Amino acid sequence: MAEKWTGANLGFNISIATALLLLPSLAWAHVEQGQAAGFFTGMEHPWSGLDHILAMIAVGLWGAQLGSPALWVLPIAFPMMMTVGAMMGLMGIPVPGVEVGIALSAVLLGLMVLCEARPKLPISVMLVGFFAIFHGHAHGTELPPGQSGLLYSMGFVIGTGLLHGVGILIGLLHRFSFGRIVLRGAGAFILGMGCFFFWQAVT
Amino acid sequence: MKRGCIQRTGALVLGVLGVIFLLPAAAFAHLVTTGMGPVYDGIGHLLLTPEDLVPVIALSLYCGMRGARAGRYAMFMLPLAWLLGGLVGLNLDLDVTIPVPALSFLLLGGLIAADANLPDQLIGPMTVMIGLLHGVFNGLVLKSGPGGPALLGIMGALFVLVALMSAFVVSLERPWTRIVVRVMGSWVAASGMLMIGWYFRGQLS
Amino acid sequence: MYRLIFLFIFLFWAGLFQPALGHESQPGSVELVEIGEDRYRVTWKAPIYYGKPHPARLELPESWQTLGQPTERRRANDIVFERVVTIGQRGLDGSILKFPGLETTITDVYVRVKRADGSQATSVVRPTKPWTELRGERPWYETSREYLFLGFHHILLGIDHLLFVLGLLLIVKNRVMLIKTITSFTVAHSVTLGIATLGYAQAPLPPLNAAIALSILFLGPEIVRVKRGQTSLTIRYPWLIAFGFGLLHGFGFASGLSTTGMPQAELPWALLCFNVGVELGQLLFVFTALGLVWAFRTLQVHWPRWVLWLPGYTVGSLGAYWTIQRTVMLIRGF
Repeated sequence: MAEKWTGANLGFNISIATALLLLPSLAWAHVEQGQAAGFFTGMEHPWSGLDHILAMIAVGLWGAQLGSPALWVLPIAFPMMMTVGAMMGLMGIPVPGVEVGIALSAVLLGLMVLCEARPKLPISVMLVGFFAIFHGHAHGTELPPGQSGLLYSMGFVIGTGLLHGVGILIGLLHRFSFGRIVLRGAGAFILGMGCFFFWQAVT
Repeated sequence: MKRGCIQRTGALVLGVLGVIFLLPAAAFAHLVTTGMGPVYDGIGHLLLTPEDLVPVIALSLYCGMRGARAGRYAMFMLPLAWLLGGLVGLNLDLDVTIPVPALSFLLLGGLIAADANLPDQLIGPMTVMIGLLHGVFNGLVLKSGPGGPALLGIMGALFVLVALMSAFVVSLERPWTRIVVRVMGSWVAASGMLMIGWYFRGQLS
Repeated sequence: MYRLIFLFIFLFWAGLFQPALGHESQPGSVELVEIGEDRYRVTWKAPIYYGKPHPARLELPESWQTLGQPTERRRANDIVFERVVTIGQRGLDGSILKFPGLETTITDVYVRVKRADGSQATSVVRPTKPWTELRGERPWYETSREYLFLGFHHILLGIDHLLFVLGLLLIVKNRVMLIKTITSFTVAHSVTLGIATLGYAQAPLPPLNAAIALSILFLGPEIVRVKRGQTSLTIRYPWLIAFGFGLLHGFGFASGLSTTGMPQAELPWALLCFNVGVELGQLLFVFTALGLVWAFRTLQVHWPRWVLWLPGYTVGSLGAYWTIQRTVMLIRGF
């Protein structure tokens, strides 16, 4: 049930987000082709790995459960710390166990959503920020040759932000009592998938 | 503007210009041709160069968050500083590689995301500094293209852009709308961080 | 006294920027007429550009052979280059005409091909892409886009038209009046633009330009009257004035849309797109101006008194300057 619900909502939101993604193409119509391509490559990138998608949606969901100020502090903290991770990747600073870290992030964030855990704000921010480093290290460093680094970066960050937005939109269900159960179900799903990724990463 | 503030601004201007003269750096060389003369080329250049456009928008948003006074200041000082920097850049012959846009992204995005309450004495010089730096780089790029008249177009576009954007933020009343602005600021800062990463990667290889 | 000083500053300023501001973008044109088997007469009309021969050249494909002696005629507004060419076996389709030097200017060039079977094709070359590939048929959206941009550019470069709109904005007092005024200006210039383009009426350019300048000059004193709290027919019914002078401005817009020899079927559509482009440019200008006024109020800008008088005096003094200048040109028969 939970899985089906999330799937349907995700599809809907992805279609909205896609429409949003297409809008800027009007504005960029004048920019050289290669440059604009950088923006869209960057934007698509966060949407390319399921582990990544689930963890970021979980951030949005958890934020929605916690309510303000975590609702917006978490989605601000994640991209910033993620780019710190990406910067470390770009500067050649190694981060051990990236894949394991990403899988663990899905496990822990899914667990938080499932339990509707309410730690103090600094603790939740630190948790999210810590795992964001792994995501950034793994995904932020793959600039296709010949594309603008700036536009790729902006696209990448905005793509990530939109994923949080998807999570927050789903999280609006939190207002209704049945919605809370659905959210927890989604948390359970993310937890389950996280365990699967973890098993994949370890073996 | 108190007298002390003007003095500090002046010192900063000299400092920044000194830094530019001393450090080498790379211009972002792509020019826009609108086919409508240099003034419109300048406007087009600003609007289609995210390295300049995003910091300008970020500065307007930040000044808007700080209130009408800061917005007014940015509206007048940013174009003037930009023009001054541009005139300097037009007459310089440099090959510079400071990631200035990345640093502006990081600074301004961070300030917006944190909703940092900087005193007026700092906002003013910061605005001037950003205008000067970006102006110098613009001047370096424009030298090989439309030149001085394009700076006038850029100035006009800056004035309009800053006025509209910061007035927009000043007019926001609901708390959540300010939060949306802060989230956008965090995105700008994050992009800046990534750009610095790219810069170091370029230095390493 | 201050006002007098500002008037002088403005006249000086207007004189300084005059070449850039008073620009009526005169397009160039290239006509290829089939006069025999693989034989075409090429006519390249290069407009005079700021008093000098136009910097752009026409470069024909290398495989084309010139027959006989090319001719060159200098006229008041342009230089006409004419030659007859054979285009060889490969035919016209796919050949590329280049315009080296056009990229440094703001001139658009119309290219027309008339074949012996009566079919025609047109395209517009712009400084951003100073070449064109000759083709028989072009998809409608390409034509529309071309004319849309042409109209948009024409109004943004026609500072005199924008100044007139600015004057109207300074006279109207409320939103309803604003909508009425802008709409009637739009309707009026669309009507004359259509009439002129479809060939029902023509206005000679020099007197027309002088009259347009006069319409701007006319608004100057009216703006001052508004500021002083006085009233007049114009201030009570600005839409009336907008309509009357709009008829004049429409003829001015028509000078930017040269259609001689354009296929009849394409004409109304091109006209419509051109007009839509003009309206879009005008709306962009109006909304930017209104947005700025709103922004100044929101940011609580307190302008010094003289700044408040500035827009009115700009409109008035530039209008006066152009009127004098264009009248002198008219009398000299230049």
